[in-house]
Amino acid sequence: MEQILANGIYLGAQYAMIALGLTLIFALMNVLNFAHGQMYVLGGFVTYTFYGQLGWPFVVALLASCITLAVLGALIERFLFAPVIRRSSREESTMLLAAGLAFFFDAVILLVFGEKQRGVPKIVDGVFNWDFRLIMPYDRILICVLAILSIVSFILFMQYSKTGRALRALAQDRTAAQLMGVNVARYSMIGFALGAMLAGLVGGLLVTITGVNLGMGGPTSIKAFMMVMIGGAGVISGAIAGGIILGFLEAIGLAVLSQYGDITYLLIFVSLMLFLAIRPQGLMGKPWG
Amino acid sequence: MIQWAGVVIFLLAVFIAIPGFIAASGRSDLYYTLTSVALLSIASAGVWLTFYIGRINIGQGAFALIGAYVSAVLVTKAGMSFWLSLPLAGLFAAAVAVVIGVPILRLRGVYFAMISLVLTQVVTLTALALPITNGAKGITSIPLPGGVSALGLTLIPDFATLENPRLAFYYAASVLMVLTFAAMYRLVNSRLGHLCRSMQQNEELASSIGVNISYIRVIVFAISSFLGGIGGAMFGSIAQSVYPSSFQVADSVNFMLNCFLGGLGYVFGPMLGTLVLYFGWDLLFELGRFQLLAYSSMLIILMLFLPNGLLSLRLPGKKEADK
Amino acid sequence: MKRRNLMKSSVALALAASVLGSTAWAENPVLKIGFVGVTSGPAAAWGISNQRSMEARADWINESGGYKIGDTTYDIEIVSFDDQKDPKRAIAGMEKMAQEGIHYVVGPNVDDGAAAVRPVAEAQGIMYFPYAFPKELYSAPASNAVLGMVANYQSGPAIYKYLKDEKGVNSVAFVAANESDPLSQRDGGIDAAKALGLEVVSDNVTYQVDTTDFTPVLTPVMRTQPDLLVLSGVSPANAPQLIRSARELGFQGIISTETAQDATVLREGAGDLANGFISVGGASTPEIASDDMKEFVKRYTDMFGEYNDESNTKVYALEYILATLNANPAGIEDVAVFQTTMDTFEAPNPFMKGDAKMRYVGTTSFGQKRQIAVPLVVNVYQDGAFETLFVAEVD
Repeated sequence: MEQILANGIYLGAQYAMIALGLTLIFALMNVLNFAHGQMYVLGGFVTYTFYGQLGWPFVVALLASCITLAVLGALIERFLFAPVIRRSSREESTMLLAAGLAFFFDAVILLVFGEKQRGVPKIVDGVFNWDFRLIMPYDRILICVLAILSIVSFILFMQYSKTGRALRALAQDRTAAQLMGVNVARYSMIGFALGAMLAGLVGGLLVTITGVNLGMGGPTSIKAFMMVMIGGAGVISGAIAGGIILGFLEAIGLAVLSQYGDITYLLIFVSLMLFLAIRPQGLMGKPWG
Repeated sequence: MIQWAGVVIFLLAVFIAIPGFIAASGRSDLYYTLTSVALLSIASAGVWLTFYIGRINIGQGAFALIGAYVSAVLVTKAGMSFWLSLPLAGLFAAAVAVVIGVPILRLRGVYFAMISLVLTQVVTLTALALPITNGAKGITSIPLPGGVSALGLTLIPDFATLENPRLAFYYAASVLMVLTFAAMYRLVNSRLGHLCRSMQQNEELASSIGVNISYIRVIVFAISSFLGGIGGAMFGSIAQSVYPSSFQVADSVNFMLNCFLGGLGYVFGPMLGTLVLYFGWDLLFELGRFQLLAYSSMLIILMLFLPNGLLSLRLPGKKEADK
Repeated sequence: MKRRNLMKSSVALALAASVLGSTAWAENPVLKIGFVGVTSGPAAAWGISNQRSMEARADWINESGGYKIGDTTYDIEIVSFDDQKDPKRAIAGMEKMAQEGIHYVVGPNVDDGAAAVRPVAEAQGIMYFPYAFPKELYSAPASNAVLGMVANYQSGPAIYKYLKDEKGVNSVAFVAANESDPLSQRDGGIDAAKALGLEVVSDNVTYQVDTTDFTPVLTPVMRTQPDLLVLSGVSPANAPQLIRSARELGFQGIISTETAQDATVLREGAGDLANGFISVGGASTPEIASDDMKEFVKRYTDMFGEYNDESNTKVYALEYILATLNANPAGIEDVAVFQTTMDTFEAPNPFMKGDAKMRYVGTTSFGQKRQIAVPLVVNVYQDGAFETLFVAEVD
């Protein structure tokens, strides 16, 4: 039981972080960013390069991941998403752009970083073992704490900083925000950069535990979509709730249903579908987000 | 008048010019490529139809897989003729769509998109878990489609006895594609199509003027899935094997991309989109390891300059005619 | 702007490469060998190690003047097709090979692709060498597929028997990804273990291919306290994570798999925790690698920057194709001749020390000789490199 709880918290914290960036971008621009998982992988590879290959301190490498992805996110918004949104008659058209970007990142990652699974040295050694009832390696505990800290500081940032307030206004009502004097173009770019940065940050954090390979992008995006749906699209607290719920679903499902093997995930997916059919806007979403 | 001429030219090209060109040039690999395009565009047409009622459908892979399995099971386990199993595969997919569609079609926007995406994984996992689908081992060694004859007349020859079954598959797929798009064109210009358009604009409004929107949604989703099932079943018969991974999330996404690329406002958008996306990948084969890079760059650039799809390129005056 | 430049330069680079490829060795006629497999996306590692070992070997042959088959010396050109792990694309790839006049193709890498290309290969007269294990691909009436490696139902029993006799293993647990290939391999492994009289304590725990954290997956398996944990059909990306989670959960027994792994990946992903991990390898461990194998590894490393140990098992298919053609040059245009030659073919194995032979096997498993005789080299990982545990033969 303790083990299931711990697994759930750990999974939930990392999932919530992945979902945060995605939901932020969605809230601001109504863009379902298919390339979110690839951004996460890219963040992982940047940390791998600086920390694993060049031997820089982990924190510096993590910072490098954040900066790289933030810059990348800003450029993508400015030169790709903004013009397409302006010109297209249906806003879903950005999905093709996002998918194209996902392929593009996959190609670049393959060419630059190769096809192999990569990993970095552990940041902390040792395993916390409470009488075999609760086993958790120290590095996982550290990453989990870091993830929770990041989420908290992100919420504080959105709540109290000027940029955060502007972003929230933008997410709530684009036109109203514009009328109130918010520079929409500028804050859209900042918001996208922030979302991409979160992907880079969590990629950098998790590379120390799960390693990174080019195939992780697509599945990560899909998982993030699911969390966002559970919590409600475009709602920050919803993404966090969705991440934690999915984390616990997996931890509990794998523990309870292990003897049925193949159907654990089938049940998770089916229950997700049932849940959405009953509550179409997720836990906290605006209806018809 | 011009439109009829266009249709005749298109039919001549598909059924005479292209096979002639392939025979003359010896590029026989094009048979399969074009067969794929035809089949994928049938499934994409289904996705386009759900776009037409304002739903982003990333679940067509699920119905294609269902269709492929239904046909494969009927042919291998019940010994049924493939040509009979083909419509049954489509109908079964449509029936599943009705059952699933009733609850999930209430969802809109990204929620529907996501739930349909999850649907693809659900079907894959179900195929892995069920005994009738032979689980992970898939169904292999499916016989080629047999012949059909009526009153002593051979309507469809036995594919296994043909010298070039690829040409036969090409014709079969092309006929299906032509039928599909003719039906689509008819549907879009019918009363149902009109109602769909009004739902795409505003469901509440459509409902308030007496349109039974939930009924129409389910009907359209069932037609869409029928097309997916047909496409999947044909593929299973070409590959003579079906695995849980025969259609996956990537396929579902591709079906959707085909529609976007061709243009959501045009009936023939999915056909053109499929052709360009599928051939695009094939043509870039020469680039070796830069293939994916060039392909994705092409997608991004296309989107940047033609965000409303390839067909939006046409002369402005004609734009409204086919809508 | 930057992207466009990148595009331009990459197109230019590709053009330059193709021009170089076709002119530099213009004096010899060219023999094209195909590769259809997955070289992009999540499973790219399988196909890329495959494609690169073919390219490295072809490059080496061409540099030393070509490969003599009969009276003609050929330059070898590798034509690769990325099927994106999609069986529908794999068919297109096989058609493309037929169009290029290619009769010998290595790949595809997975079960569904290998099954899907069968109709094309048999209709177009192509021999193909998949890395997929379903028996019906190689048993009559199928005729054109040749298994390019040791199947898990062949290596599994050998490994389990060794561990039972030498290490006193009595109970075994299986974990597999919820996907066709690994599940089929798991079922094969379970049968083999039961046949040996081992107690199978856990056989139905699976994980999604995209799992990144295996602790919850392995927790229930660890409760059953097996002596041996088998990671059926594990992909190189997942292996280090699984090993790490198992060890961190306090697992003391032996961990093994029947697929090929890469030492660098294991070192980076699991470090010392991977020590003692048993996998199936090729011929690059120092105990058995011949000078040719060492030269191959060196050339591969020079060409692509980094060697991939998975290539040890994948160096053979091309060599077999060429050597068999050499035994009867008529096979170049006629695969029926090739198939007849396969029954009697024998040649020295250039990649292994000693007098190991290349020949076709598989009579026991498939009823006909439709498998290349790769030595079954069982490796154990120790401190960043593989050591040979034992070598066996498949018949």
